[in-house]
Amino acid sequence: MTNDGHELADEPAAMTFELLKAAVRDGTTVARLGRLALTGCKSVVDTPNYFGLTSRGVVPHVTPDNVSKHLQTNGAYLALEDFIERPQQYSTRSPPIYETPSALGKPLHGFTALPSSFITVLGARRLPAVPAPAGNTNHAVSIFTSTGFQVLPTKDYRNAVQVLKPDIAIPPADLTHGPTTPTSKRAVKMAERTDDWIKEWFVDDDTTPTASTFAPVLPIPYSMQWEYLERLSEDLTTDNRRLAGLALYDADIIPDLNHHLPNLLPLPRLSLAAPPTPHHILRQISLGVDLFALPFINATDLSPFVQNCTCYACTRHHRAFVHHLLSAHEMLGWTLLQLHNHAVVAAFFAGIRQTLAVSDDAFEAARAQFHAVYEPELPAGTGERPRARGYHFKSGAGEGKRNKPGWGKLGEEEEAAAVAGKAKGDGAAVDGVDGVDGKLQDLSLSGEEVKIEFLISGTVTGETIGVTEAAVEKDR
Amino acid sequence: MVSLLKLATITEEGVRFLSPHDGSPMLLTPEHSMSLQNSIGSDIMMQLDDVLVTTSPDIVRMREAMERSVRWLDRCIVAHKNPDRQNLFCIIQGGLDLEMRRECCREMVARDTPGIAIGGLSGGEAKDDFCRVVAACTELLPELKPRYVMGIGYPEDLVVCVALGADMFDCVWPTRTARFGNAVTKDGVLNMKREKYAKDFGPIEDGCGCPCCRPADQEGAMGITRAFVHHNAAKETVSAHLLTIHNVWYQLELMRQARKAIIADEFPAFVREFFNNLYPDRVSYPSWATTALRSVGIDLFKP
Repeated sequence: MTNDGHELADEPAAMTFELLKAAVRDGTTVARLGRLALTGCKSVVDTPNYFGLTSRGVVPHVTPDNVSKHLQTNGAYLALEDFIERPQQYSTRSPPIYETPSALGKPLHGFTALPSSFITVLGARRLPAVPAPAGNTNHAVSIFTSTGFQVLPTKDYRNAVQVLKPDIAIPPADLTHGPTTPTSKRAVKMAERTDDWIKEWFVDDDTTPTASTFAPVLPIPYSMQWEYLERLSEDLTTDNRRLAGLALYDADIIPDLNHHLPNLLPLPRLSLAAPPTPHHILRQISLGVDLFALPFINATDLSPFVQNCTCYACTRHHRAFVHHLLSAHEMLGWTLLQLHNHAVVAAFFAGIRQTLAVSDDAFEAARAQFHAVYEPELPAGTGERPRARGYHFKSGAGEGKRNKPGWGKLGEEEEAAAVAGKAKGDGAAVDGVDGVDGKLQDLSLSGEEVKIEFLISGTVTGETIGVTEAAVEKDR
Repeated sequence: MVSLLKLATITEEGVRFLSPHDGSPMLLTPEHSMSLQNSIGSDIMMQLDDVLVTTSPDIVRMREAMERSVRWLDRCIVAHKNPDRQNLFCIIQGGLDLEMRRECCREMVARDTPGIAIGGLSGGEAKDDFCRVVAACTELLPELKPRYVMGIGYPEDLVVCVALGADMFDCVWPTRTARFGNAVTKDGVLNMKREKYAKDFGPIEDGCGCPCCRPADQEGAMGITRAFVHHNAAKETVSAHLLTIHNVWYQLELMRQARKAIIADEFPAFVREFFNNLYPDRVSYPSWATTALRSVGIDLFKP
């Protein structure tokens, strides 16, 4: 699929990762600068960098043509659970995506109309995933599709990867997806299952996935999964065709990896730990993460439109227009914000790479400065978000309606407000800012609260301040 | 002023309504409407008019609205600051009463505005009535001024109105129906949410030239399949965007073809082909369309 005139590629491209620079401190490698290249398509990703996050195969609100025209990312994370729902009425049909004709190129690209040069990362579950009540079994993971929970046998997932041919695939991991850390008994189980599944993944037969494999690293202590990780390090790095990278569900394990398993050092590390703020990104980079999948871009706008920003939205439109679009519930508002947010985050990563190229100390200094200047949390959005859909979240018991009704009787709202005013007492109503899925958070532009604004400046006069420069401003 | 009519009171001075933002009382007069449009600087400006639903049985009120629209047009013309670079269109009113419409046409044509709109239609009236009103108005309008039928968007309506002598249209329908998951094609409206499109890997419409439908190896094209639109219809806004692109393209292309056919002097054949595609049995054409087209000498049943 090309919007840019490439040949259609029908096989995932081979991948190489080159570490350009890795600072060593206290005997361990820390923040590093690298380059991920996929031969066959001309995709080169300078790291640290980020991949976009898709929902049902699309970067939310951005059509495939605009993905190539206006987004700076050249890759995205997709979840298989977004494609294999079974509608009640047609419960026996096989998922349409498996039947994508080969004329459309790599099937995952072909089905989603993404350009073939755009790197696809396929995982079993969305980021962040909705926890499944049933949990996983020894041979299957529980997934959440738009038509409800399903069981996905790990073998089926492996077949799906072979059929769909993403550029990068993440083998199944036994994860709880819950807010609490698993008990040690559960953690042992997680490591055992993931270990079994990785063995199954790499069994040599005619269905061995050709995608570059990023092995999952579990969000449990090193001591709980060392056997699994040693297998990765010893069995799977010898033939470097096999393991192409690591997918970390928790970045804090990196120091242990560096210390115990130097074989894994040259592999690119993709963080799926969903850093909630830029501060977390910086911290993970300083630990040695190379790539990110970022949910928060889709969540809130990082800023009102920025002076001197070169993104499409900023060069063609102004804040007042987007404010208007948001209050009028026009879809274009979300599209423009999405383009802008991607531009800001891409520039943020460019700044990081530039600073890292100078020196590790410069990076650490810039990180400290960033920390000092910016608020620790992203601002809650105040704009109207798109309606939350069933596949975004699972409502809990006694939870109110997630979507406001589209219309009601004339004057009903005032009445309801009057009733609510009387009943008030146990705190103001809390808006759904729980971020189960990025899209549940509001986009913000209006309101009077303080907004954070990222002004990325590559070089600032004098020394390279690097990453970012701050402006906290009072928005009207 | 037809939108939100329930919340508005109309007096000779203008329209009073409550602000949808803060509930404060507002007054929109013809003068204020002109000053707003002057400051926006639109190429085409619309007069402020007094509209009733066409199906209203109240003839007295209908006449009042029509006459008031003429008086407001006079006030608009006086208040219009940039007649040299912004074109004010009058809006013909008069409900479904042809005599009243004709009277309004004569009054407004005499004011010599750069363009002329036919208003108040598309409000649930019978299609036969609608066509009669358009035909009655276009008959009286001068040749060299654009005639704009407001609120028309179904492809059949566009083609019939062009046949009746109208030039311009506007409608939310093509984009709104796109957001509901419907694709407008030469074979009719397709509901992309239907299961039969789940594994349909063809383009939204065969032979369509829009960026969605053309194969991906072409410049600026996406090669979108029906299966992908189905996958996200009513789920992700991207499907709404894609169908919007397609539907708007379809409408513009339809009008492009109409212009081409008129220039080539093949307009009746164009109309017949258009309706043949929609009704492949060539029999079950809607009677309002056959009647209206016959009145301008186009016979759909002619082989």
